[in-house]
Amino acid sequence: MICSWNRATLTALLLTLFATQAQAASVSGSASFQGQAPAAEPIKMEADPSCKALHADGIAADDVIVNANGTLKNVFVYVKEGLSGKYEAPKTPVTLDQKGCMYTPKVLGVMAGQPIEIINSDSTLHNVHALPKNSPQFNLGMPLQGMKIKKTLAKPEVMVKVKCDVHPWMASYIGVLDHPFYAVTGEDGSFEIKDLPAGTYVIEAWHEKYGTQTQSITIDDSGKSDVAFQFGV
Amino acid sequence: MNPAQRLTHLFAVALTLGTLMLIAAGGLVTSTESGLSVPDWPLSYGQFFPPMVGGVRFEHSHRMIAGAIGVLTLVLAALVHRSEQRRWIRALSLAACVLVLVQAVLGGLTVIHLLPLAISVTHACVAQSFLCVIASIALTTSNEWRVSSPTPVTGASALGRLELITLFFVFAQLVAGALLRHRPNSRPDAHIILGALIVLHALLVWIKTVRVPHWTKLRVHGAMLVTLVLGQVALGIASLVLTRSASRIEGLPSTAEVLTTTAHQTLGAAILMTMVLLYLRSRRFYREAPAA
Repeated sequence: MICSWNRATLTALLLTLFATQAQAASVSGSASFQGQAPAAEPIKMEADPSCKALHADGIAADDVIVNANGTLKNVFVYVKEGLSGKYEAPKTPVTLDQKGCMYTPKVLGVMAGQPIEIINSDSTLHNVHALPKNSPQFNLGMPLQGMKIKKTLAKPEVMVKVKCDVHPWMASYIGVLDHPFYAVTGEDGSFEIKDLPAGTYVIEAWHEKYGTQTQSITIDDSGKSDVAFQFGV
Repeated sequence: MNPAQRLTHLFAVALTLGTLMLIAAGGLVTSTESGLSVPDWPLSYGQFFPPMVGGVRFEHSHRMIAGAIGVLTLVLAALVHRSEQRRWIRALSLAACVLVLVQAVLGGLTVIHLLPLAISVTHACVAQSFLCVIASIALTTSNEWRVSSPTPVTGASALGRLELITLFFVFAQLVAGALLRHRPNSRPDAHIILGALIVLHALLVWIKTVRVPHWTKLRVHGAMLVTLVLGQVALGIASLVLTRSASRIEGLPSTAEVLTTTAHQTLGAAILMTMVLLYLRSRRFYREAPAA
């Protein structure tokens, strides 16, 4: 009796494990940059001495950052088509910081309805001006250091620009989706989208300057799929 | 002219110049794209005087100058009521007070509602209409206006019609220009066509004042109009080239673009004012001679 119960439990456990592994697929890859990397233009921060003081050696524009390994940073990669079902937005907020008179991160993803915590880490004032087309725009003053505001973007949209009109060089982009399958390339240009159900998908990569690219993929039984995007001039 | 009347006139002239400066300050706000750098109104970041950094320098300076012009408009109305018996000038000064209040509210609404096109364009048009009202008060309180009376001349009505048509085109151009400023990616076709029509009509006005001997009082005014219009064409071409060039860094306007577009907008206001004053002066100096 005990033995047959153990066997049944073990079988159930194995089946569950197998099923989970078959469904927990991931898409990984990188965004490479082809051609000569454009010279980064220096940002003139004279308009606000407190910003300039934070970058004594100067700071370059962050619209195009080509990594040392020839890949592109700040590419937003997401599942554009192929998903079914509904996904609940997390309650945990995503942080968008104003630090050194720049946005950190430059590119981020959230789920529609997920809180975005906007922080002013600078000693100067900022305004946070979000320009979505599908959700209501907002423009909020953040005059004090350490000030935090929580906002949500109600509807999916790729991408929503956020800018500071006080410091016009500041711009951030938020990918708002109705699912959690997105990633942003970092210092090594790679990305990984985890826990994707098996199926065929259209994956899109977006870059502020170089626009969008799409690829169609089918996640096989191994549960892994590689995608390579190539941007450049 | 008694001292009170002279003071009223000089005050109106100074306020006209101040209003032109306010229009230039507003132009800087649009050109530097800093209209929303102060997200609240009537206070700025909850304060009367926020730190003057970045875009706040332009937006808050515009608000401060606008506040000063508002107060000075009330002072002008008081001066007019003290020194003037002509009821229509009194009414004009009250209209200026209403316009400056409407303009302040429009300015606030455009900030609070994140620059809606209709409100932003109306804000631009009311600004220039206000300038014309103040300049008209300055003209009609002048000694020249007081001592003049209309001389009957043949062709005065035709000149008046030509001036009115030109004025219509200039005002339409103001609307087209404001639409283009607030929708920078729209096509400039209407603006260019109106520009060509204004050049043609300004030249016609000037030629009339030069060729017909009895319109000597309008010659300098007509020449000034043509000079301003030709200068405006040059600034317009430069503005188009600069705003549509790919030389922006991170999408930001260059200093040359900011200065050129601001000058173009301000000169547009000066042309509208010049045209209104030209029409009023020609009506004051001349009237149609009775048919023989």
